Amino acid sequence: MTKTPHDLKTYKKDLKQALGNTFLGATLDAFASAYPASRATAFAGIDFDALAAEIAKAKDESIPNLEKLLEEFTGRAQEAGVTVHFARTAFEANSIIASIARENGVKRIVKGKSMTAEETFLNAYLEEAGYEVTETDLGEWIIQLRGEGPSHMVLPAIHLSRREIAELFTKVTGKIQDPDDIGGMVKVARRELRRKFLEADMGISGANFAIADTGTIGLVTNEGNGRLVTTLPRVHVALVGVDKLVPDLEAAMKILAALPRNATGQVISTYVTWITGATECKSAPESRKLMHIVFLDNGRLALAKDTFFSRALRCIRCGACANVCPIYKLVGGHNYGHVYIGAIGLVLTYFYHGWKNARTLVKNCLNCQACKSVCPAGIDLPHLIKEVYRTVLNVEGKKPLKNLLLKKALENRRLFHFLLRRASFAQKPVVEGEYLRHLPFLFSEEHRFRRLPAIAKVPLRDMWQNINRQVDSPRCRVALFGGCLTDFVYPEQGQALLALCRNHDVQLDYPMDQTCCGLPAQMMGERETAREVAVQNIKAIDPAEYDYILTLCASCGSHMKENYWKLLSEEPALAVKVSQLKDKVIDFSSFMIKVLKAGPEEFRGAGGKVAYHSPCHLCRGLGVTKEPRELLSKAGLEYVATKGEDVCCGFGGSYSFDFPEISAELLKRKLDNVEAAGAESLVTDCPGCVLQLRGGMEKRGGKIKVKHIAEAVAERKK
Amino acid sequence: MGQSENLAKFNERARAVQTVVAEAGSLAAAFEYAADLTCKQGGQSVAAPGITGENLALLASICQTRSLVLLTENLREKIGQIGTGLTVADWGIAETATLVMDSQSEEIRIATMLSETHVAILPKSRIVPDAAAIREELTKMMKAAPGYLAFISGASRTADIERVLTIGVHGPQELHVLILEEDGR
Repeated sequence: MTKTPHDLKTYKKDLKQALGNTFLGATLDAFASAYPASRATAFAGIDFDALAAEIAKAKDESIPNLEKLLEEFTGRAQEAGVTVHFARTAFEANSIIASIARENGVKRIVKGKSMTAEETFLNAYLEEAGYEVTETDLGEWIIQLRGEGPSHMVLPAIHLSRREIAELFTKVTGKIQDPDDIGGMVKVARRELRRKFLEADMGISGANFAIADTGTIGLVTNEGNGRLVTTLPRVHVALVGVDKLVPDLEAAMKILAALPRNATGQVISTYVTWITGATECKSAPESRKLMHIVFLDNGRLALAKDTFFSRALRCIRCGACANVCPIYKLVGGHNYGHVYIGAIGLVLTYFYHGWKNARTLVKNCLNCQACKSVCPAGIDLPHLIKEVYRTVLNVEGKKPLKNLLLKKALENRRLFHFLLRRASFAQKPVVEGEYLRHLPFLFSEEHRFRRLPAIAKVPLRDMWQNINRQVDSPRCRVALFGGCLTDFVYPEQGQALLALCRNHDVQLDYPMDQTCCGLPAQMMGERETAREVAVQNIKAIDPAEYDYILTLCASCGSHMKENYWKLLSEEPALAVKVSQLKDKVIDFSSFMIKVLKAGPEEFRGAGGKVAYHSPCHLCRGLGVTKEPRELLSKAGLEYVATKGEDVCCGFGGSYSFDFPEISAELLKRKLDNVEAAGAESLVTDCPGCVLQLRGGMEKRGGKIKVKHIAEAVAERKK
Repeated sequence: MGQSENLAKFNERARAVQTVVAEAGSLAAAFEYAADLTCKQGGQSVAAPGITGENLALLASICQTRSLVLLTENLREKIGQIGTGLTVADWGIAETATLVMDSQSEEIRIATMLSETHVAILPKSRIVPDAAAIREELTKMMKAAPGYLAFISGASRTADIERVLTIGVHGPQELHVLILEEDGR
């Protein structure tokens, strides 16, 4: 049975156990490594972003009209001989299906794979009512025999090894099964399940589409069990979430163009089945199938009316958000969702299975944007997850201490910066070079996977006046947004920037009233605080005064560019400023290439091999991928490719303090890959990533130097 | 896209999903292919519920010379005995190497789902570049309820055990598509 911890302590115990499962780690890593290439091949010649935008648009048009579509579908399907039911709740759906079984004298039921039936825990209900229910999708059958829930929406048994399955099948058949003969085990399923198909009186399926203008349901499958479930038994019940309603075949085909490509890297699944009405069935009275369609609401229609969360209903259940999630890859679906798995699972769990099941899960997001970048319905999943987290905090009415402290500190810049300066003073006894010798007492053993940097003696803002030069009649004016880390921990990154600007006629400014960008507040579900600091920053840096707003921190940059708009777009005068700001925010590498037009003549020629870590908020948040590599090559540095270059380093701001075990494992894999690549240094464009990577490299006693790209490039300057 | 490009695309995509594509000069040649394949695989019977009239007579004689049983109806009672399911596809979609098959008849469904090998005859003129090209026709078919419309792209497959691709979990273990010069329907 699906069981999700309601408290963090138990959840962490589960996570730790999953991290120790070497088979799971290896198999999910292999999957995550193979997926991007097969997905890319499947989408060759297709503009994915355009397709995702079309699907989002079509879904957004359907979502407010689900009731109308349902009415139209019902009319069509009834004309075609179908009995259509509407279940407001999961319980109602299960009892409707049980009564259909009872009224038709059903004993044995075969089932096709359906996440909606998982959502309602249909099998348990029917078994309790005395029916024999057999899952017929191979993966679902395996987990049913083991009494588990799926660990992936498309690959339900991906967490199991061939050995575990061989043991299970040995028990089922009474004959020893060879774990290395996967074909043989598949034949066992073929044989065992063939009998079940022939004996069954009722087939239950889900549906990927319900097409309103024809009353047709569409099923996307690979094994062919869905075809048998809907063909052989005399009764067919389809359980369909109302969110599967689409107006016509055109809308369904758009989704079909993305679903298998994004799910499994197939251009199309082996079978797509379109069923309209009660079809021929020679085991039924008058050779006509007893066909029932049960539409499930279970909160969907209310969700459809929610102006913000309604976009969760765009989901087409491809599972890609799990496929690319670096956390899913480490802990598997049983620890990364309740019934629904992956990023969308973190969101839907709250709505379909309640806050208790959602409360710990929803904290476990790095905001690395990997899911968002592959969502075929354009759902901003990390944003939705943070909003669910905020909602859960509000429901609980009790916030963690760190939220209260952060809120207090950030709301008043002077207080915040005073505290940072005091910390620089207070840390003195424990500083050792540029690191803290001990971790402060509130950190437990798990946090020792990296060394934490000391706060700088003099922050960038305090030295700015002395190190920045004034340019007569500059070509452009640039405001530097330092961000907390560059300002108070790594001011040398700002110095490197100034060194690089030396021979260029641009005027840099450091507006002194700027404060934290607000991303940490957003990550902790403190939207009001995030809004408050956004306003402070817009007041501090009036975008109308500058040509560019430059930041050395990809996270600050992407937060200002994308989230400020979400926070302030509805506030009249501010919306204009935010929109101007959005157009002027630029990252360091793009600034060097596009604005300064830095060329090799400024650098000292060949400078050694460097690996590159692509920060989440740069490559996905700001969509910048080419410029950093181009800049490295201009500076004479030889870029060496590494495995998983764009996978999160595990920092995620406060995430690495909340889930140090996972952060440490992501960091370990990242550094292993870097060391394997044979580079002399590792560069990246985000001080947060520098903190994580440098601290981890130092801790493991590695030889590779970790640098901000500004430092690496400045070192090569003539 | 012209017809020859459609065919080339269909071939390329078919190979990627282990579908065997062959050209058949005539309906008789296609029937012989299906019958020979059945014999080669040790099958005893060919189920061809959608083939009628003279064509059926032709198929019957081809089966007879090879001592194969020809099945055309009540296939539900023959489940487990069907070697080859032989059907004619309504369309072929080049982009995904998909066969579109009106499967309202239960006999057609059983022949294509519960045979060991599925051989589908696809008239060359019925190959279209993509699904969008036949969207109106498909919608029309859906509106003529009841209907069971199947898109078939390859043989039954699973990757549920350690993501190892395995062909033939529930449905046919092989799919052969015979491209027919003439319109054999």
